[in-house]
Amino acid sequence: MNRSADPRMRLVAALAPALIALVLAGCGGGASTTENPVTQPPPPAGYAGPPPASQDVQAFKLNVWDNLQGGNRCGQCHGTGGQVPSFVRNDDINLAYEAANGVVDLSNPGGSMMVSKVGGGHNCWLAADSACADQLTVWIRNWAGQTLGGTRGIDLQPPPIRDVGASKSFPTSSALFGSTVYPLLTQYCSRCHSSAATIPQSPFFAEGDVDVAYAAVRAKINLDTPADSRLVVRLREEFHNCWTDCATSANAMQAAVQAFSNGVPLTQVDPDLVLSKALTLYDGTVASGGNRFDNAVIALYEFKTGTGSVAYDTSGVEPALNLTLSGATTWVGGWGIDLRGGKAQGTTAASRKLHDLIRATGEYTVEAWVAPANVVQEEAHIIGYSGGTMVRNFTIGQTMYNYDFFNRSTTTSGNGTPALATPDAAEVLQATLQHVVATYSAVDGRRIYVNGTLVTGPDGQGAGLLTDWNDTFALVLGNEVSNDRTWQGVIRLAAVHNRALSQAQVQQNFDAGVGERFYLLFSVAHLINVPQSYVMFEGSQFDSYSYLFNEPVFISLDGAQDPDQIRIQGVRIGINGAEARVGQAYSPLDRTVTAAGYEPATGFDLSDIGTVVALDKGPAADEFFLSFERIGTNTNPFNEPTPDPLPAPPDGDPASEIGLRTFQEISASMSEMTGVPATHALVADTYNRLREQLPTIENIEGFLSSHQVGTAQLAIEYCNALVDDTGLRASYFPTLNFTAPAAQAFDTPGERALVTGPLISRAVGTGIATQPNAAEITTEVDALIGRLAACGGSCSADRTEIIVKSACSAVVGSASTLLQ
Amino acid sequence: MPWSPRNLKSIVKRVTAVAAVSAIAFAAHAGPREQAKRMHDRLAGVPPTAAVLNAMETEIIAGRIQQAALMAMDHSAFYAVTIKNLVTPWTNRDQTVFAPMNDYTATVIGMVRDDVPFNELLTADILYVGSNGLGLPAASATSNTHYEELETRGIDLRTGLTRTTQSGVYGTPPAATAGIVTTRAAAQAFFVAGTNRAMFRFTLLNHMCRDLEEIQDTSRPPDRIRQDVSRSPGGDARLFLNNCVGCHSGMDPMAQAFAFYTFDEAQGRLVYTGGAVQPKYFNNDTTFAFGFRTAGDQWENRWRAGQNALLGWDSNLPGSGTGAKSLGQEFGASDAFASCQVEKVFRTVCLRTPNDALDRNRIQTMTNSFRASGYRLKQAFADAAAYCMGD
Repeated sequence: MNRSADPRMRLVAALAPALIALVLAGCGGGASTTENPVTQPPPPAGYAGPPPASQDVQAFKLNVWDNLQGGNRCGQCHGTGGQVPSFVRNDDINLAYEAANGVVDLSNPGGSMMVSKVGGGHNCWLAADSACADQLTVWIRNWAGQTLGGTRGIDLQPPPIRDVGASKSFPTSSALFGSTVYPLLTQYCSRCHSSAATIPQSPFFAEGDVDVAYAAVRAKINLDTPADSRLVVRLREEFHNCWTDCATSANAMQAAVQAFSNGVPLTQVDPDLVLSKALTLYDGTVASGGNRFDNAVIALYEFKTGTGSVAYDTSGVEPALNLTLSGATTWVGGWGIDLRGGKAQGTTAASRKLHDLIRATGEYTVEAWVAPANVVQEEAHIIGYSGGTMVRNFTIGQTMYNYDFFNRSTTTSGNGTPALATPDAAEVLQATLQHVVATYSAVDGRRIYVNGTLVTGPDGQGAGLLTDWNDTFALVLGNEVSNDRTWQGVIRLAAVHNRALSQAQVQQNFDAGVGERFYLLFSVAHLINVPQSYVMFEGSQFDSYSYLFNEPVFISLDGAQDPDQIRIQGVRIGINGAEARVGQAYSPLDRTVTAAGYEPATGFDLSDIGTVVALDKGPAADEFFLSFERIGTNTNPFNEPTPDPLPAPPDGDPASEIGLRTFQEISASMSEMTGVPATHALVADTYNRLREQLPTIENIEGFLSSHQVGTAQLAIEYCNALVDDTGLRASYFPTLNFTAPAAQAFDTPGERALVTGPLISRAVGTGIATQPNAAEITTEVDALIGRLAACGGSCSADRTEIIVKSACSAVVGSASTLLQ
Repeated sequence: MPWSPRNLKSIVKRVTAVAAVSAIAFAAHAGPREQAKRMHDRLAGVPPTAAVLNAMETEIIAGRIQQAALMAMDHSAFYAVTIKNLVTPWTNRDQTVFAPMNDYTATVIGMVRDDVPFNELLTADILYVGSNGLGLPAASATSNTHYEELETRGIDLRTGLTRTTQSGVYGTPPAATAGIVTTRAAAQAFFVAGTNRAMFRFTLLNHMCRDLEEIQDTSRPPDRIRQDVSRSPGGDARLFLNNCVGCHSGMDPMAQAFAFYTFDEAQGRLVYTGGAVQPKYFNNDTTFAFGFRTAGDQWENRWRAGQNALLGWDSNLPGSGTGAKSLGQEFGASDAFASCQVEKVFRTVCLRTPNDALDRNRIQTMTNSFRASGYRLKQAFADAAAYCMGD
């Protein structure tokens, strides 16, 4: 056997010492799953050996051996007579079981040697190593679920002890990046890593917009050690599309990153701060996400790959229904994809397993963690198994604040209509991360759960059969297969189960959350007299731009400790050498750890709330620490800076000293001028009709001609009421003869003055220089009366009254009223 | 009798033509008589009678400008028009001036009339109702009819309003009353549905003259932000970290003071559930389950530190408490509250916002005068009228 010629043999040589050291973890571990998932593994090559000696061996065979023994997977080398460990040998399943036990950790399937080896690039049968690792993890977990049972406990691991160091943070402006690294990226990487590329590949760090590129590249640059930047490593060690020889390309990229780094000042840690030790996210103990109920999952997307154009189905159920990303689709931090017009679609052939496995049970569940981008999109399809806009098997969609659930059955149309929608008034769909679950069963019909709560009533269509399902459709996320039902938002997990999950199972998956979580143990043992003491947070990457820190606890990993009277006050989260500017939810914290409240296993709860802080360099590089205003006897009071007085605003343009009277002021003024109360029925009616036509603000520049028309109409109504009231007009115009014909009543200036005089006195005022000139008004109104009285012998009997009303209206409705 | 349309059309054309001509001849010079005219126009909203004008002119000539202003404020329109239209937009979400009179406007009018210290606006167990003997329907916790009729009947508010208490008329526990905040109109507008943040925002807007955008401060701790606020709107935490947190970190700890209030639309009244947090405080509580969960009506003013310390909070108060009354006291004792009242009066009387250094200095002087007078709003009106009466 020529080991050096065969890479698989080199693996075994590397594995051998480690295998000896591997031991199965003790009791209390293992995933919570207990049922055997539905699988369709490749046909076994023919097992003819002795039967499994125990149920555990049988579980191993069903869940792991059957999936790996194929010649296109591990069976090619680790089969009978092949390289050790022979965990897929087909001569004796019991011996294969023994071999496999040396390379798996059933208490922590993801940490199995077998998984880490494949995840590290060892003969993965998929394009992405991480997808192989995830799939293998699922298979081992399924085996473990049947073997160990129970829920997994968390075994907190002490993190490396590291002082908080000075660090570099990305500057806010993209200018420095634009002049150093960006030119290289646009020159050599834009054919793929740009949204304008023929086949766009996320991340778009070679985008035409430098700010977009800068946002995308941060996780790929290590400012503290430029040589460790992914941009450099990808070229130097992974030979990824180098433009010359890879060493030269890598050197050029490193030089560019170095130039960028050189321009960024080092953030020095304030020496007065009382600090914990430092951690990165990945220094934390993984908080298992193994509590999901996935017993009946037949397609699962966790989007862990984070790069490339394929989202892998890691359900472990063959055939893998992998999705191809196309259009405006990018990966998001903390696992997920951001769909902005693009979609993720599987082949019809691979999608057929949904048809087959769901038809077999007659029930199913579609589950997803989604963050809709907005609450205004309609006819937006989030997840569908369909053939276009007119035919489908199922689809989960969004209509503004509602989720819609289309299901094709014997009680609905071939398009799954009428859809079941969440109630309009409830507005359950929000533009934030939500857990949405749609279930269908022949008993309950369709149901929709959001964040663990059933939000729909009985299915109006009732339950039916799925006999009409079509097996030529395709699973698609973020759009319709015909590209005309775009949904915008983030999907962080999607799963299809061929069972209708119960309320409890939905709640379990909601509680399990999404994404990778860690227990971050910030060492404070150097600050207080308690060995192995930590302030522990649950931490995770919350989205592409932030971390979540949650539920801090004081704990000592030394179970013999019984800490007491340790006051912890003013805790702030630091990142890369400085306290985060936003999100310091624990700065008001003031708790005293007491022995009475301390449990060695769970510690002492400091707070039950969580907070988000901004991501800087990315989860691999961001270094966190805690600062304390007080912990034990160490103090460093936080000094709130005194705000500077706001500068005086600049002077505005000179404003007019006069303005308009507003609506009610006009009416009240007219009431004053005429003596007619504003409550007069006709006046009040006219006012109520007109008031919104009158000025509502005093600004004279807001004057409109409609204001004048409204004012005139209101004036006419007041004057009408004045003249029609014989008592009131007699006191207002005491010597005017209203019964005389118009031709005689106003044929002398003196008679006309009987009208103009009182009006000007009451409505304009006398001796007021800022009012219109009384003589000019008199002349105009006098002329008006003259014109109106010149009606010859055809004057109506009430012409005199009309003329007075007119003169009154002209004065009362004039600018002397309108302006103040 | 109404005019016929034919007559009306003809007359309107002629009348508007004449009225437009009347606008031509305004003189710029303002002597005591012109000053008196403007002062009356601005304060009462209506022109003075000849007798009042003469009397005011006399006072101004004698240098007794305050007395002249008080004469103008003795007109019924000062309350029924000027104050009412100043207050009405505060009482509804649309900020419309065309809303009917209600207990909020009537109470403010009464407080101005009776020189009730205006810093009690957000704390007092106070209510003004139509006086006995006017034949109005009784004031009710479930209806606004009493106030609408007060308005439509044109009751003279100088004499037609009587001071009483919300606890007496509405049955609200005295300790749960908080001035206009707990009036029926305010509750109907700002405690209805939602999350009660509207009451906080509109109180800030109307009585501190600041909208949330102006005072957002992202440096405040976010630990009291409720669970219904997404920390990653649309999947992007930058929105929260750069925007949402700026308002919610200060607002949510203070809006907690309203945790026991709601407006029951079915009953049409304010409901106070002392000790029991309203369910609306738990709306969408799975949006960010690690957020703050309201347990009581303890409020805390996080804006006493940071840039919003410039609002001038009273250092004699603790900056925290329980319930709406103590929060109202926190607001009412601030510099921003006092200057806000003066600025609103200035805008009403001078027809402009403070425009230059001279105006801003005057606002400061008027604010000092307003406080020194025991928060008499009429003092602010008189000062503003004196400043803007022309020269």
